[in-house]
Amino acid sequence: MQENYLAKWLNDELTESELSEFKKTDEYASYVRILRASDQLEAPGFDAEKALMALKNRRTLNETKVVRLHPFKKFLSVAAAVAVVMLGAYFYSNTLDENIVTGFAENKEIVLPDSSEVILNAGSQLTFNEHSWEDNRNVRLDGEAFFKVAKGERFTVATDAGTITVLGTQFNITQRQGIFQVVCFEGLVGVTYQGKETQLPAGNIFKVIDGKIIPTGAPTGSEPSWLHKESSFKSVPLKYVLAEFERQHNLEVETQNINGDQLFTGTFSNTDKELALKSICTPSQIKFKFEGTKVLFYGE
Amino acid sequence: MKTEDTDNVCEEQVFSTIFNANSKTVFNYIYYKFGNEEKAYDAVQEAFVKLWENCGKVSPAKAKSFVYTVANNLYLNVIKAEKVRLKYADHRLKATNESPEFLMEESEFKQKLDRALNGLPENQRTTFLLNRIDGKKYAEIAEMEGVSIKAIEKRMHLALKSLREQIDGI
Repeated sequence: MQENYLAKWLNDELTESELSEFKKTDEYASYVRILRASDQLEAPGFDAEKALMALKNRRTLNETKVVRLHPFKKFLSVAAAVAVVMLGAYFYSNTLDENIVTGFAENKEIVLPDSSEVILNAGSQLTFNEHSWEDNRNVRLDGEAFFKVAKGERFTVATDAGTITVLGTQFNITQRQGIFQVVCFEGLVGVTYQGKETQLPAGNIFKVIDGKIIPTGAPTGSEPSWLHKESSFKSVPLKYVLAEFERQHNLEVETQNINGDQLFTGTFSNTDKELALKSICTPSQIKFKFEGTKVLFYGE
Repeated sequence: MKTEDTDNVCEEQVFSTIFNANSKTVFNYIYYKFGNEEKAYDAVQEAFVKLWENCGKVSPAKAKSFVYTVANNLYLNVIKAEKVRLKYADHRLKATNESPEFLMEESEFKQKLDRALNGLPENQRTTFLLNRIDGKKYAEIAEMEGVSIKAIEKRMHLALKSLREQIDGI
């Protein structure tokens, strides 16, 4: 008998001899009976028409889902990811401050978000936050800068020496080692120094040298002289004048046999080195000489 | 059928034709496997919804095996087979001239067959019932199950053999 003969038998694929041999077996009658009984079997009822209707109903429901919801879902996940990244970037950049630094012999002009202008003198640093600018106009200054503040809310300049608040004016701040000076050219400036606020009207100078407030007369001109490439001093200790010279001309300064506390009143050029040296040395009665990239000031 | 090739399953007419030709068999196929009418009904719905969603990618010629594959995959390893309950066509009215003893014996035999069918491995039972109830050819069953015709013959042979052994009490 061939392989799977029962299956072949059902399919009428047995040969005559195989069939007659199969019929002689004892099991044959049982098989026939099984087939007869199983042919009366019925599967549970299935209403194809109803099922198709249900399917069509579902399909119209699904169509809106599949066609619209699907890409929307994708879009949503992409949008969510983008939002997260953007939000992160936003908060991150919010915490980042704009930082402008000038090197020696370098000036920079900065326009703040409210179009206030800041001109940064050499060797200075200005920091502000562009994102919170609308809420508070705060800048941080280290060095010297001239401010032309646009009218608006309170504008605050924080320095290590003191805080300057204004509403809209032009003023110059110098905050160097040992010197803290605010010159108001226009409007009204409030200077908070060591917890005490001083109102500084236009044409006045608030000057602190080595921790002492020094009354000073009116400024000359309507702008600080350094905007015109000159550094002006009025009764300023010589050591701070030389420090300014170092910043403006990017030359290392050395001194020998010099009284740095002697006061200097005068102006030196920020462009012409030789002229500047003469402008400092002649009234101070000191001498100078170049030593490579350095310049040595020395007394007799 | 030249149109069969150019026709798109996305067309309502073509889709309905495919549905009417195959839905009952898909239903029975899943029912024979798991003995759960509800699951079988869901499988039909699921398979044809998938066919509709993919109507652009499935040609009418491939649609049949597509729905069987989807229906089959739907419950792969998910549900346990329940008892397959099959009804017998009611021949009593026609068979009233039979003796009560014969009817009794007949009904006992049917119960035995029921038990034996449920005792079969799922693939043998499905093959046997698709052939006997739905009149499917071995080649068709092979296509549905994704196996060779020879494998179906083997299942059929084993199914019949163990049914007889069960019923004859060997």
